[in-house]
Amino acid sequence: MSLSEFYSSLGESLDEVLDRLRMESRIMKYLGLFLEDPSFNELKEAFESKDAKTAFRAAHTLKGVAANLGLNKLSNTSSDLTEDLRPGVFTDKSQALLEKVEADYIAAVEGIKQLE
Amino acid sequence: MDETRPLILIVDDVALNRALLSDVLCDKYNILEAKNGNEALLLLREKTSEISLVLLDMVMPQKDGMEVLSIMNKNGWINEIPVIMISVETSHSLIEGAYSLGVTDFIGRPFDEMVLMNRVNNTIRLYAKQKQLSNLVLSQIYEKTRNNSMMVTMLSHIVEFRNGESGLHVLHINTITEMLLRELLCRSNKYAINRDDIGIISTASSMHDIGKITIPDAILNKPGKLTPEEFNIIKGHSLNGAQMLNSVPFGKDEPLMKHAYEICRWHHERYDGRGYPDGLKGDEIPIAAQIVSIADVYDALTSERCYKKAYTHEKALEMIHNNECGVFNPLLLECLDAISSRLVVSLQTFDWGKQADKDFFYIADSMMKDKAHPIYNQTFRQFINERKKSHFFESMLDDLLFEYSYTPAVIRFSSMASQKLGLPRTISEKDDKLALGANAENWEKIQSVVHQHPALSNDPIQTEVTLTVDGKSTPCKVMLLQIWENSPDKKPTLASVYGHIDILH
Repeated sequence: MSLSEFYSSLGESLDEVLDRLRMESRIMKYLGLFLEDPSFNELKEAFESKDAKTAFRAAHTLKGVAANLGLNKLSNTSSDLTEDLRPGVFTDKSQALLEKVEADYIAAVEGIKQLE
Repeated sequence: MDETRPLILIVDDVALNRALLSDVLCDKYNILEAKNGNEALLLLREKTSEISLVLLDMVMPQKDGMEVLSIMNKNGWINEIPVIMISVETSHSLIEGAYSLGVTDFIGRPFDEMVLMNRVNNTIRLYAKQKQLSNLVLSQIYEKTRNNSMMVTMLSHIVEFRNGESGLHVLHINTITEMLLRELLCRSNKYAINRDDIGIISTASSMHDIGKITIPDAILNKPGKLTPEEFNIIKGHSLNGAQMLNSVPFGKDEPLMKHAYEICRWHHERYDGRGYPDGLKGDEIPIAAQIVSIADVYDALTSERCYKKAYTHEKALEMIHNNECGVFNPLLLECLDAISSRLVVSLQTFDWGKQADKDFFYIADSMMKDKAHPIYNQTFRQFINERKKSHFFESMLDDLLFEYSYTPAVIRFSSMASQKLGLPRTISEKDDKLALGANAENWEKIQSVVHQHPALSNDPIQTEVTLTVDGKSTPCKVMLLQIWENSPDKKPTLASVYGHIDILH
C-alpha cells in the first residue's frame, strides 16, 4: 500500500499532511515512530488501573500525535475523550469514548503495518 | 557540534513529537532534548546562557509545561530565554495562562513546518539582537567604571605623591570607608544613606585631600615642625578642596559630587565641635565626612610617615578610642571595632583588580534592581558571579597560582604565590625588572616556562623549574593549563595560561 492509499483508506488526505511536513520520506519515518509510541497502551492501562489523570494525559498526547500525522479521525476521537477526562474523573461516557479511540487507533496501526 | 549555531531546547514527553521538531530545526540549530519538565529544568539551569529558545509541550508527566514556565519565571530565565509553547491544547483559558506566564508564542498542533521554522527564526533573531545590545551596554559600563575608578585613583595618587605619602593611602581610605559604611548600615538606619551610596561614598573618599594641591610645596613637605601660621595654611586644604569642587561648572546635584564636597570640606571636623574649618558638632557633620575622617586617622596611624613610624593596628585602635587623634561618633567607633579583625586582612591583601570590580558590582547591583530599566541578563549575572567566585577561592587558597596572559604579557599571582616568590601580585612585561629586585629571576623563569609549550593542548602540561621560594632556591613542579582562543577565520591562538606551582621537597 502506498502512502496516499493508506491515507485514503482511513478517509484522510495525504496532501494536507504533505503541506505541513513537506516530504513523504519524513511522514513514513514518523508513522514508523507512531507504532512505537506508548501513549495508546498507557491510555488502556490507565483505564484498567482507574487512573483518570494519566488517562487524560495519554489521550491528550495521542490527540496531538495523531493531529501531526494527519490522522484526524483518531485525533478527533482522542480529543473527545480528552475533554471527557479533563476534570480528572471517569464519567459514564468514558468507556464508550475509549472504544471509539481504540477502533481508530487499530485501523491506523493496521494500515501503517501494510505500508511499503 | 558547531558551537556558533543557536541552541534550542525541545521539551516533549513523546519521542515522535521531539523528532518532528528536531528534524525541521537541526539543519540550522543545535538541539537539546528533554523528556519531561524536570529534565528541562536541569538543562536550563546548566546551560542558561547557552540556550536560545525553548520549545515547550504543555501536557507532560513529571512537571508539565506550566510548571516549567512558573519556575522559569521564578528564576528570571523567562526574561532571557524565549519560550514557544507547542500543544494540541485548545482550551482558551490554558493558552491564555501560558501567555500570562511569559511565552512568546503559542503554536497549535498540527503545525505547518514552514510556519514553525519562521516563528523560531524570528524569535531567536529578536532575542539575539536584544541580548547583543544589552551585552554591549554592559561591557561599556564595565570598561567605563574601570576607567573611572582608575582615573579617580590616579588623580588622588598625584595628590598623595606630592605629599610624599604612599599612594596606598587613597586605596586604604576607600576600603576602610566601604567597610565602615557597610557595618553602619547593618547597625542603624539613622542616616539618610543606603546600599547604593556605598560605592559612591567610597569613590568620593578618594578625593578627601585634593585641596592639598593648593598648599605650597615648601609647607606641605617641610621636614621640621610647622609654625602655627604654616599649620593654618595646611588646614586650609579642606576648604580649598571643597571650593575646587564647587567651582566645577556641572554635576552639582550628582550624589558623587555632593558626597565629595562633604568629605573634602568636613573630614577634619571633630564630633565634639572642635575641628575645622566650620566647627560642626555631632551629626551636623555629614556622615560621609565622619566616616572618612575616622578612616583617614586610622590609616595615618598605621602607616609610616616621614615624622613617625607605623603604629600597630591595636595601638591605633587604642589611640582612636582614647580620643588621642580627634573625637568620633560613638556609633562609628562601634563599627570600627566590629570590622577590626577583617580590616587588617582587607588592607593587607588589597588588590587593585578587585577594587575596580567592586565599583562595577555596585553599579551592576543597582542596575539589576532598577524597576524602571531592569537588566535581566544571565551572561552578566554569571560574569559577576564568576568574578566573585574567583576572588573568593583565591582568598581561601594557600596554593601558589598564577594566570598569565600573552597579549599584553601580564601575570597575576595568587596572594600566596606573590608572597612566596617575593614578587608583586601583578607584573607586566613593561615593568622595570630592576624594580623587582632579587626575585626578578623568578619572573624570568616563569616567563620562559609559559613560552616553552606553543603546541595546542587541552590537558594540563607539567614541567619542572627551580624557583627562589622564601629566598631559597627550590625545585618546583609547575602545572600549566592553556586557554586557546578560537576564531572562525584564524588559527586558534594561545590567549592565556593558568599555572599551579608545587614545591618539591
